[in-house]
Amino acid sequence: MRKTSDLIDSLVDSATPVRRLAPPLLRTCIWLALAALILVLLCVAHGVRPDLSMRLKQPVFVVSMFGALATAVLAALASFELNLPESRRWWLLLPLPGFAVWVSTIGYGCLTDWVSMNPNGIQMGEAARCFATLLMTSVPLSVAMLIMLRFAAPLRPTMVSAVGGLAIAAMTSFALSLLHDLDATIMILIWNFGIAALIAGMAGALGRPLLVWVAAHVVPLLPPQLSRPQ
Amino acid sequence: MPGCSKENPPYPDTPRLTPVRTLAPITKPASRGQWSMLMARAQDGDREAYRTLLTEVEPYVRSIAIRYLKSSSDLEDAVQDVLMTVHSIRQTYDPKRPFGPWLVAIAHRRVIDQLRRQTRRRSRETELSAEHETFAAAPTKLFGDNSDELALVGAIDKLPPDQRDAIRMMKLKEMSLKEASQASGRSVSALKVATHRAIRNLRKLLKGELS
Repeated sequence: MRKTSDLIDSLVDSATPVRRLAPPLLRTCIWLALAALILVLLCVAHGVRPDLSMRLKQPVFVVSMFGALATAVLAALASFELNLPESRRWWLLLPLPGFAVWVSTIGYGCLTDWVSMNPNGIQMGEAARCFATLLMTSVPLSVAMLIMLRFAAPLRPTMVSAVGGLAIAAMTSFALSLLHDLDATIMILIWNFGIAALIAGMAGALGRPLLVWVAAHVVPLLPPQLSRPQ
Repeated sequence: MPGCSKENPPYPDTPRLTPVRTLAPITKPASRGQWSMLMARAQDGDREAYRTLLTEVEPYVRSIAIRYLKSSSDLEDAVQDVLMTVHSIRQTYDPKRPFGPWLVAIAHRRVIDQLRRQTRRRSRETELSAEHETFAAAPTKLFGDNSDELALVGAIDKLPPDQRDAIRMMKLKEMSLKEASQASGRSVSALKVATHRAIRNLRKLLKGELS
């Protein structure tokens, strides 16, 4: 084991000027701008769902979309706040109001659509396109989120990646609702709730190793001569 | 003790204990403001400010880690880990915010992480005791155990010199043919033949001894 004074010498030698991290609110805006860009591109390439204007007149749909978007915004803000070492754990609770609205409207939608479900409503072609939208939304947002949250790797990776995963899941769900006609009960359950749970669950389970990997290899926090023993 | 008083101590030559002022705490509130300034300068690339900061911060980090860790090597590991983390995420410090909570949060999380790692490691490892050793007492080797070895050494000594050298180099020293050839100055094929003959003769010699 090296002496602490030697370590301080090495740290001082490798101390290059660093750019201070922007405030969490600004970083949230940057991430949301990326999400908006992806959504606009998808809308241009794929087009919004055919019945969007009609659906926007239905309060449940509007509240559900608002809930998903609010969850995404609040969860993103919470994850960027939790990325800072001295921030309080209370930030974890920030996305809860949006999440509650979102989940409750999904449940209500399931109930009403179950009654009026059309047997021809489920089509594999639409499911495949949904999957493509899902990947095109969640993958770039996840990569951006992982890089932006890498400073949490040595501090609280699981908590931060779970909240970040919730933001991605909510934003993906918002994109799916905007672009695809997903009103059959099973589709709503699979694509909205199931996928959201899957993304958030994966972020919770894999977030820690992924964040640590990003902080060690993709955008290293420490120079190679100072790499931390794992 | 009779005749003993404050004015008339029993042992006048003995130096008397006098009250001393206690040492000032390692960190005064004022120094934290200074740390904030030093860190801001370090973020801008001022290495001397960074050195001063790390040197001043180290005892403070140690005082946090010592509450959780008893072993001196674990303590040193934890202090170094905290300093490396401070270095790796120094971008996250905002000079408008106080430095103390930022440092304390990092120190607490890294020390607790180290405790978790230790607990995980100890749950997987078992300390070796005398029962785990092959020989609890000093190892003893009886003559009977290595009698075969002695017989073999004796048989090798009885071989003709070229075969003896070949078998020693090829089998006992485990040299390659090329190495043995270079060492002895003999050709590879000659060494092969000598080794083959040596093994055949050894078999005969050992069979004769056994019978």
